[in-house]
Amino acid sequence: MTRHAPAPSAVPGVRILPYGPDALLAEYDALDAVLSVAARLRRLALPGVVDVVAAMRTVLVVHDGADREAVVAVLSDVRLEPPEAGPLVVVPVWYDGPDLAEVAAATRRSETEVVAAHTAAEYRVAFCGFVPGFAYLVGLPPELHLPRRATPRARVPAGSVAIAAEFSAVYPSATAGGWHLLGHTDLPMWDDTLAEPALMVPGMRVRFEAR
Amino acid sequence: MTAAADQHPAVQVIARGVATSVRDGGRRGLAHLGRSRGGAVDPEALHTANRLVGNPPDAPGIETSGGLVIRPERAVLVAVTGSQADMTVELGPPLGWGVPTALPAGCTLRVGRLRGGARLYLAVRGAVVDRRDTFGLGAVEPVDDPSLGTAVPRRLDRVVRVWPGPRLDWFDDAAWTVLTSTQWTVGADSDRAGARLDGGAIGRRIAAELPSEALVEGAIQIPPDGRPIVMLADHPVTGGYPVIAVVDRGDLEVIAQASPGVAIRFRSAR
Repeated sequence: MTRHAPAPSAVPGVRILPYGPDALLAEYDALDAVLSVAARLRRLALPGVVDVVAAMRTVLVVHDGADREAVVAVLSDVRLEPPEAGPLVVVPVWYDGPDLAEVAAATRRSETEVVAAHTAAEYRVAFCGFVPGFAYLVGLPPELHLPRRATPRARVPAGSVAIAAEFSAVYPSATAGGWHLLGHTDLPMWDDTLAEPALMVPGMRVRFEAR
Repeated sequence: MTAAADQHPAVQVIARGVATSVRDGGRRGLAHLGRSRGGAVDPEALHTANRLVGNPPDAPGIETSGGLVIRPERAVLVAVTGSQADMTVELGPPLGWGVPTALPAGCTLRVGRLRGGARLYLAVRGAVVDRRDTFGLGAVEPVDDPSLGTAVPRRLDRVVRVWPGPRLDWFDDAAWTVLTSTQWTVGADSDRAGARLDGGAIGRRIAAELPSEALVEGAIQIPPDGRPIVMLADHPVTGGYPVIAVVDRGDLEVIAQASPGVAIRFRSAR
């Protein structure tokens, strides 16, 4: 057995991990480093890079004949960038979610105050995952940070506006889900027939507006 | 889709069979939006079938695991690739694997049991659109004349090259040896998202929970029960189980065509 220890990285705060000949995964200490690196990769648009997929602590780069060393160099640059000033999406929300009362109780606030806090913040699409078009939005006020529900729901309707941990999100399709449902929107999040199928793309800014 | 696809006639679906759907080559480059490639699990086989009938390589064709019975309402040129299968045509000429064949209107094609593979691809010149009880015709303009030749079946040798994955160091010292020396059997719970393997268990060294991170087609995830899952066309774009290895792109078709019960082995790619 060969121990495939990750290649030591000269840069503290980043570990570059192997993922076969066509991909690299970089791991960081915190989400803000992830977002800076992912934003820089989007901006640089290195030739041959097929996918840049950020997650909680990692950035995956899938490349087709790209200069791997150039990719490593960008992944190793952990300098923080100011948040991207991406396009703004305004999401109309009917705050009638089944968990609004529970969230108010858990955060020791009135429902009106929960709605006020949720609509006052400006969010940023950190990354997507779970199902097509599911965007993890950062910027949720700390007073609304709650762990996920103890028991996930078997079915969360499409358009549900939800929060969990430090994130907010809109469910693009009906799926199982464990987030707290504050309300719903009628904005479609995903249309697979379009060239640009997602409403929310990493780097965009998002606001929720009460209806 | 062209307007012609919305016009009759079409191909009647007498029996849909097992895991039958219309698939194109899928979409790459959308993983950052939460969408994996989708499309044919074995895109190479779809490309070959499309080439035989003169379609663009990624044109939508029929993917099935057998039991499909269809009746074209007008003459169509078809080609079958991927798995071999028992096929019969009533009121029409015999249909062979990898041979472009003109089927007359009103004939009945039965794709029976698959042999030697997990997925069969049926391309129709002009491509198809899924309408559940029919397949609409003429979804895509052909780009070429039908092939005068035939396809040659691939030899898939059931040994799959693997590269070290990002979380190999999360597994115990025996893990790589177990992965590359076990005779794995494809489980019945496999689907378009992943092939689930039986035959051994891969042990963890680090028991902590991993924050979800990106997956690629061919990534081998190890859930807590130690049974490997190889990610296929419909895989989730992120996952919280550590990835021990990744299948070499050139050998993914072996996994794509390994039906439940088939034995496969992994060997180190380097």
